[in-house]
Amino acid sequence: MRNGREGDRGREAGEGSGETPAGNSSLNLEWRFNQTLRNVQGLLKGRTFPGKILLTRKSEPHNDPVSLEPSPELGRSYSENELGSSESINSGSEGSAQVSGDMINNTKLQKTKSSITFGEGSSPDVQRSISEGRSTDSARLTKFTKELSGQTVVLENLRELAWSGIPPYMRPNIWRLLLGYAPPNSDRREGVLARKRREYLECVSLYYDIPDSERSDDEITMLRQIAVDCPRTVPDVTFFQHALVQKSLERILYTWAIRHPASGYVQGINDLVTPFLIVFLSEHLSGNVEDWSISDLSPDKISNVEADCYWCLSKLLDGMQDHYTFAQPGIQRLVFKLKELVRRIDEPVSKHMEEQGLEFLQFAFRWFNCLLIREIPFHLVTRLWDTYLAEGDALPEFLVYIFASFLLTWSDALQKYDFQEMVMFLQHLPTHGWTHQELEMVLSRAYMWHAMFNSSPSHLAS
Amino acid sequence: MAGYRAEDDYDYLFKVVLIGDSGVGKSNLLSRFTRNEFNLESKSTIGVEFATRSLNVDGKVIKAQIWDTAGQERYRAITSAYYRGAVGALLVYDVTRRTTFENVERWLKELRDHTDPNIVVMLIGNKSDLRHLVAIPTDDGREFAEKESLYFMETSALEATNVESAFAEVLTQIYRIVSKKAVETGDDAAAAASAPGKGEKINIKDDVSAMKRPGCCSN
Ligand SMILES: Nc1nc2c(ncn2[C@@H]2O[C@H](COP(=O)(O)OP(=O)(O)OP(=O)(O)O)[C@@H](O)[C@H]2O)c(=O)[nH]1
Ligand SMILES: [Mg+2]
Repeated sequence: MRNGREGDRGREAGEGSGETPAGNSSLNLEWRFNQTLRNVQGLLKGRTFPGKILLTRKSEPHNDPVSLEPSPELGRSYSENELGSSESINSGSEGSAQVSGDMINNTKLQKTKSSITFGEGSSPDVQRSISEGRSTDSARLTKFTKELSGQTVVLENLRELAWSGIPPYMRPNIWRLLLGYAPPNSDRREGVLARKRREYLECVSLYYDIPDSERSDDEITMLRQIAVDCPRTVPDVTFFQHALVQKSLERILYTWAIRHPASGYVQGINDLVTPFLIVFLSEHLSGNVEDWSISDLSPDKISNVEADCYWCLSKLLDGMQDHYTFAQPGIQRLVFKLKELVRRIDEPVSKHMEEQGLEFLQFAFRWFNCLLIREIPFHLVTRLWDTYLAEGDALPEFLVYIFASFLLTWSDALQKYDFQEMVMFLQHLPTHGWTHQELEMVLSRAYMWHAMFNSSPSHLAS
Repeated sequence: MAGYRAEDDYDYLFKVVLIGDSGVGKSNLLSRFTRNEFNLESKSTIGVEFATRSLNVDGKVIKAQIWDTAGQERYRAITSAYYRGAVGALLVYDVTRRTTFENVERWLKELRDHTDPNIVVMLIGNKSDLRHLVAIPTDDGREFAEKESLYFMETSALEATNVESAFAEVLTQIYRIVSKKAVETGDDAAAAASAPGKGEKINIKDDVSAMKRPGCCSN
């Protein structure tokens, strides 16, 4: 497994291919770093969303009974953050490494400079670019277009760009490329995809479209489990309840499970198909997901989308095989790393959790198992996945940083809770009102911490 | 002090686990009992989830700390760690799906392997509202329960039938055992064998002090 992006770059440069001078590598790093600072900046500027939005669930069309009970503690902790201006950004890492403090100062200094990008947001364009994580920023659009127009896409450049968010309409193509499903060479692309889609159909007729009498007992058990889970897949997005979508989901999951006997189907993998479904369907359906009607699509189109979902799921999970095998050692290992990282970043929270007897496995297991799909509003998931897919092979390691950043969003709140309160809080995190801003914050901070802590990773070795 | 009872004030804290095949309705039994909610398309439980509710039994406040576990076999390695320290268990099957009943034996073994022999276990046939689909007659469930010395009840999380009584019965039985033990022997060993507390209120609080809100109740 690769060690992480920077590690990789260092290695590439060290190996001296001549193509990638060390200077370029640090330039990339710096670019990303500035990106991060701007993100933080944007969050400071745009902080017009304290406790209230989180509690009123303005943008939440569906009823989630749990969130109807506003937590007074939460309101309080958010308004405290609100008062703290720039310090509030650091609330997750109080008392942490000095570097972190310096960064915040940098952020402050840069405030005026980058305020153009993140102006008060009176124009709809600015608002939009903030809410889309700047992925529609025209300079970025040009860069994306340029990267994609070459005869052979340079994946490393594409990853660099995609990390900070992909414009929605480019997402299907870019995801296929990032996952190594579509080949970088544009001449071969259509041919390869067509062949893969046919191959998927063959698999389905071979494994799925057969009578139960030809299945083993284990296979029947698996199919039953999948049938139990399909209707329970992201149930708050009603689109997934459509019979055709349900069938596609079932075929994808069962075919994948049969072809990956070491793990087979594991609950939660059903969640992981949903971002792919949404993204690949978005090539054919427009407007709000809730208004989509899949019956408008020809069976051919549905079948292609389904095949793409299947292959992309396969590619994604290839990098995380031992996350779903017996006893799920891959997840256990990452949960351990998460605990270690949090201890390094935020000693007080870490200590408090330990004193209360709260184990990371109790809450973070689901995070790793479903890649956070269960924890954030669904409309933010595809943006989060841009970063996941941009990380490529380094994703499992980077997840640890994202999840640490996610957890420490509530550093203050957690320290006020006892064991039971913490478990309950972490099971139903108040992310209902989240917009792109909160997510960008989580990702930026993950990026910073990765840059800070990954350079001395010995402490994280298990 | 007299008359005032903080929300989190209780005499006994009992850990109870919910186990059984995936989709039998464990999470909905829990949400019905703790929040009076039912969810037609509830997400599958990944790993464990947790909720609490307090009940009155013989004038004592019993707080149930209920751990809801994932039903799929693959999660067994993760979830069985949470059986430790449980004094009660609800073993759930779905009255409309025979396999979930057939698997009860395996669940029971799993439970016996990881918990104290004195644990109070109730077998629950859930989804009794689906009358026209019943695949396991009530008598089959009851017979099995008797053979294995389990309590037995049929419930519907959907219609809220017997949910309250099932939990209440389990908690009451745990309480009976614990208080009887405390009266008979009055020593720590007896209490420790089946519950995190003995007959004396203050001691119990000490025993579970790690679970209490700091500074909320001072003894
Ligand atoms: N008709 C009916 N349906 C029920 C009842 N209880 C649960 N269900 C349904 O059964 C499905 C599964 O319920 P859950 O509570 O999620 O099942 P679970 O045992 O927690 O499943 P896992 O988390 O996968 O182990 C959901 O669609 C529920 O709506 C019931 O009493 N009657
Ligand atoms: Mg459940």
